[in-house]
Amino acid sequence: MEQQAAVIVENLTVNYGTFTAVDKLSFTVKTGEIYGLLGPNGAGKTSTIKVLVGILEPKQGKIDIYGTPVQNEVAAKTHIGYVPEEVVLLDSLTPREFFEFVASIRRLNNAINPRLERFTTAFELKQYFDTPIAALSMGNKQKVAIIAALLHDPQLLVLDEPLVGLDARSSKILKELITYHAKKGGAVIFSTHIMEVAEKLCTRVGIINKGKIVGEGTVEGLRKLVKTAAGSLEDIFLKVTEQEEGMQDVINALEEE
Amino acid sequence: MRFFELWTLAQKVYREICFQSVFSFRSGGMLPQRGRGSVEQLVRNAEVNTLISKVLTTIFVAVFGFTVFVPLRFGSYGGASEKVIFASGVSAFLAIVMSLIIIMGLQVSTSFVSSKVLEVLGPLPLSKRDISSIVFMCFVRIFDIPLIGSMVILLVAYFIAGGTLIGGLVSFVGIFVTEIFALALTIGLARFFYSRVANGGGRSRWKGFLRTLFILVWVLPSFGTYFVVSFATQIVQSFASATQVFASASQLLLLIYPFCFGFMASFASFSQNVSSLTLFLAAGSSIGYSFLAYYAFRWTVRSVRTIGAGGIITSVREIVKDTVISPQIPWLGIIRKDLRVASRSPSYASLFLLPPLETILLGILLGGSFSTASATGFSAVLGILVGISLVTLILPPTLLSLEGLASSYTRSLPLRKRTVISSKAVLSALMYASSLLILVLIALYLRKSANTILTFGLIQLLSVIAASVLELVISARKFWREGFAVGNMYARLSTFVVILIPGLILAYVPVVAAVLAFEFATSMTAWVYLAVALLEFVMMLLIASRE
Repeated sequence: MEQQAAVIVENLTVNYGTFTAVDKLSFTVKTGEIYGLLGPNGAGKTSTIKVLVGILEPKQGKIDIYGTPVQNEVAAKTHIGYVPEEVVLLDSLTPREFFEFVASIRRLNNAINPRLERFTTAFELKQYFDTPIAALSMGNKQKVAIIAALLHDPQLLVLDEPLVGLDARSSKILKELITYHAKKGGAVIFSTHIMEVAEKLCTRVGIINKGKIVGEGTVEGLRKLVKTAAGSLEDIFLKVTEQEEGMQDVINALEEE
Repeated sequence: MRFFELWTLAQKVYREICFQSVFSFRSGGMLPQRGRGSVEQLVRNAEVNTLISKVLTTIFVAVFGFTVFVPLRFGSYGGASEKVIFASGVSAFLAIVMSLIIIMGLQVSTSFVSSKVLEVLGPLPLSKRDISSIVFMCFVRIFDIPLIGSMVILLVAYFIAGGTLIGGLVSFVGIFVTEIFALALTIGLARFFYSRVANGGGRSRWKGFLRTLFILVWVLPSFGTYFVVSFATQIVQSFASATQVFASASQLLLLIYPFCFGFMASFASFSQNVSSLTLFLAAGSSIGYSFLAYYAFRWTVRSVRTIGAGGIITSVREIVKDTVISPQIPWLGIIRKDLRVASRSPSYASLFLLPPLETILLGILLGGSFSTASATGFSAVLGILVGISLVTLILPPTLLSLEGLASSYTRSLPLRKRTVISSKAVLSALMYASSLLILVLIALYLRKSANTILTFGLIQLLSVIAASVLELVISARKFWREGFAVGNMYARLSTFVVILIPGLILAYVPVVAAVLAFEFATSMTAWVYLAVALLEFVMMLLIASRE
């Protein structure tokens, strides 16, 4: 069966003043896919994601989310569940109050409660339900953001470094949830620095460097492309982002100290 | 480590605490995309804001001090004896310094006790003693100008009023003790606020009540500061009357702070027949309070060091019975969220309480003039309505700035601009309406007709809604463009004022029209007032519906 396009990004450019963070970037994510967005720090991953979820205005480019242009922001955002890289929530609220706010904006009703109960139990957040978010650990804040993103059963999950701070159990549960979400026909855009996770989890990856896609495809396809068939995704990543060259010299210099 | 090195490090920590106190939640995670120059500007703004707050507090102290003491030199206080006035003046001054320092320091101190920046110092190769010194220097820097300023002001004002050297020494001890008490209370309240209120969750109504009570305790003195400074002379006279009444009945007053220091300064300044018992009581209690201040100082240093070691314990978690939530329609959800956030932030909560407090005050002051017939009554009602509108219109941009607290998350939600605008406008209108209700109740209590208040007040409500919508449209457009807490009066005062001015103009236009109509065609006043306000209301609703 032909997979539908869940996300189409065409010629996306993002500028911060005179600095170009994303430079004519294009990629497509299909339904049922987990698309890994990889790249070194400052490559433009988070900027791309912020435009996708409607936080940032691009300089130019076209983005469609399930056929809805991102300019139609309210309609586009209803398709998305988003976990930001820097989890800054309304810290003075408790998770209960925060979920109430998010559920109100998303026009959910009381029928959401059994789903919320399942998530809070799975992520072991129940005991912190009436504790202000400010008093939670980084991992628990991350769990609040993840549950808020999953609450409305979105078609597209946009996860910017979602595993940061999570304990092994929650990390495993989230990865299973992501896989299940893709299996049932949803789409996932997943940004991470952990190459092993991307290698195991993602259907396809797009490697960004200096605002441009420098490599895209399945891990197997990329291996063939860079002719290091035995190499891991980390080796491929270092090669296509041109970070491999001279790296051994740097390591040697550090070891000599 | 040398003092200079510690002081330099303390300066860096202090800058960060200023920044955190003004840009709470780091501007909703939107700072990284603002560019280096813009963020550096914000850091400078935060420090300047804190400096302004310190200088303003010192100016308030100076105004109060000189207003109280200078007339003494010229014998301007009629009635009460000079000695009693002098004792009352010193006592009132000490009380005012204490409350002003607490009010000024509470917001920054709350950031100080909750600051994670202190954790950065821990892993560095600094001894515990050095870290304690840095933390303490940083704490002192929050208050430096008002502390030194108050001492200088009291001594200068005291000597201008004709004080003696011994009296000056007593006054110095009094102000020193007062400042230590103020620091101890500030750090105590800030710790309580952080651990039990700001960081204390809980679903119970009791917790909600506790939060409201704490906010009220903070807001009332803040609001009272203006009136204290405005009515300094009258306050001292009231102090003097109370002093005379109590002093004649018993000598208990001599045991109470700050009166003991006030009387000691008075005894040392004027030759007077004082019984040895009176002198013993005043001197004994002054020494007692000085010892208490010594222990308060040690407690303050210990508390500040505990904070430096990261030892603030927040409230104990409650047992969670269920995870049930009750979503509302979007605009109601926003209102509920705004009220919850504001109830945990004194700086926001105080703005909610301003309209009703202003109404009570103006109602009591001008209530006697309420009348339907006279020009005085007409201008009294309109004057109060203008006053309430002014303080109500501070709310909309502030409410919108709440959206900036977690903007990197909330802006990813499917939220329409007009939903945000309508929710904040409704909340602002409710605050105005509740103030109007209070005004009607005051009029009824004073046995005056409430018809004019109700008619004009409801007409003005249309204009207040229109003005709120205008402010919200301007700030929402800026917010959507910049993704930043554009309307936060604490963060960017200039932008706040620019947003406020069009709103105020809109709220005043119908009032000006009503005044002109009253002048030239009295019978048409209400109709002209209604027509202009209604026109504004309809126009702004049309503009908002297109957002």
